[in-house]
Amino acid sequence: MTSPETGRRLRRPDFWTLAGLPGLLFVLLAFGVPMVTIVVRSLTDPSPENFQFLFTDELFRRSLLRTVYVALLVTGLSVLLGYPYAYAMARSGPVLRTWLMGALLLSFWTSLLVRTFAWGVLLSNTGVVNDLLLDLGVIDQPLPLIRNLFAVLVGMVHVLVPFAILAIYASLRGVDAELEQAAQVMGARPARAFWHVTLPLSMPGVAAGAVLVFVLSLGFYLTPALLGGPADILVSQSIVLQVQQYLDPGVGSAMAVVLLALVLAFLAIASKVVGLGRILGVTGKEGTS
Amino acid sequence: MRAGLFVRVFGLVFAAILIIPTVVVTATAFTEGSIITFPPQGMSWRWFEEVLTDPVWTGAIRTSLTVGVLAAVIAVLVGTSLALAAARSGLLPSSLVVAVGMTPMVVPLVVVAIGVYFVYVRIGLYGGILSLALAHAVLGVPFVLVNVLAALRSLDPHVEEAARACGAGPVRTLLRVTVPQILPAALIGGLFAFITSWDEVVVAIFLNTPTLRTLPVVIWGQVRSGLEPSTSAVATILTVVSLVVFALTAAISSRRSRSRRVH
Repeated sequence: MTSPETGRRLRRPDFWTLAGLPGLLFVLLAFGVPMVTIVVRSLTDPSPENFQFLFTDELFRRSLLRTVYVALLVTGLSVLLGYPYAYAMARSGPVLRTWLMGALLLSFWTSLLVRTFAWGVLLSNTGVVNDLLLDLGVIDQPLPLIRNLFAVLVGMVHVLVPFAILAIYASLRGVDAELEQAAQVMGARPARAFWHVTLPLSMPGVAAGAVLVFVLSLGFYLTPALLGGPADILVSQSIVLQVQQYLDPGVGSAMAVVLLALVLAFLAIASKVVGLGRILGVTGKEGTS
Repeated sequence: MRAGLFVRVFGLVFAAILIIPTVVVTATAFTEGSIITFPPQGMSWRWFEEVLTDPVWTGAIRTSLTVGVLAAVIAVLVGTSLALAAARSGLLPSSLVVAVGMTPMVVPLVVVAIGVYFVYVRIGLYGGILSLALAHAVLGVPFVLVNVLAALRSLDPHVEEAARACGAGPVRTLLRVTVPQILPAALIGGLFAFITSWDEVVVAIFLNTPTLRTLPVVIWGQVRSGLEPSTSAVATILTVVSLVVFALTAAISSRRSRSRRVH
């Protein structure tokens, strides 16, 4: 493209560019400005020393490490539990598939807050699970199932596993079942056919699901706040504490910048392996339509 | 190749675990007693009656609906505008437009929440219903963008070329030919945007004032102070609305694929 042509285009943008301007303007004002404000605030309220404080603060360092640790656990569990579920959906008759898909969508469309609230009801000391175990005589005293890492993992995996399942399912549907049959016809046992044919071919879906679950885990607030213990808070909770409780928006903003940088850096690396379009579903459906 | 017995049984057990929270909350809403128990004692609509006659809850339901509808309308307009540019602009790279529209999906909600909170307090928008609707609209944009962009890319360009050849100007072609074809996709995106707002808690907590409390914010307050069957009743209402909206999106997309098959 020659520069005079670019110049002409810049002076007279085409119709579709003009159609996009209101949308771009809205996102920049309603979303871009708040993001820039956080960065500015982290550096000027009162000074860039906010960051210096963060990196010497033992509590913040621990909550940052804990956040990554929880996100990794949630991602691992979501993929491990989600894969067989997606496989059962992709390789079964219409009846079982309908049931599995129905349960998945019912759960997926129940609000996050309601599901987290429900786990509170289920796991509390006087909750359904403890009552049941006490009645059955399995335990004498209620198990500490809530206000700890266990409850956070249960709640977060429950909310995030559908994202992994849907990504893996889309990928498995694209794997030709005849390839597996071919492997078996040639003498591979079902397990071998799965490990050497199906699993490798479904890896793009696994990767896309894992990246999405990991990124969403990093920013989780609701579930850890309701089900987690007061001692093991995550970065998102630290941010809210700084802004709402300690009234220190500068430090809160610096934490937000760190969290945002973590998310974007991870996405940048992940996009080298899996297309971002696939992760976010922009291009995910095109192959199948 | 069919999944093995073990995998199928695992699928069913896990499916049960997936829906247990929804089932438990719904069941506890129908209890006759005044504490949450499972299985519930008796069966009554008592807590639903209480919720629907309590001005705190009805006010919150009204606020949630208003914010959700406003946010969805704005998200549809913004998302469609972005999708048009992403699909066809000769000037703006498609990937840039898509990146701008999709970013709200990956930024942690807490970060969005404190950002809009800072800005709204500064410019005096804090406290109004529009403030929350604007913030929620941003969160809904990605859903509209994804759906409309996919619809635009699957359009038959000859239809628009024919309209242009018959003398229709670009605006007229857009409104009379393109928009009707992408309308179902925009509607589905809008319904997703509505649910995003309807369920959203974190931004709504930061922007809440005594006169601006959505349903999830009131539930949040209750969940933290102590559980009552009325919370379960409201949670059930929240879920039913979500499922109705989901059924609508499913109905629209199945009609769309049917009409496509006819062509």
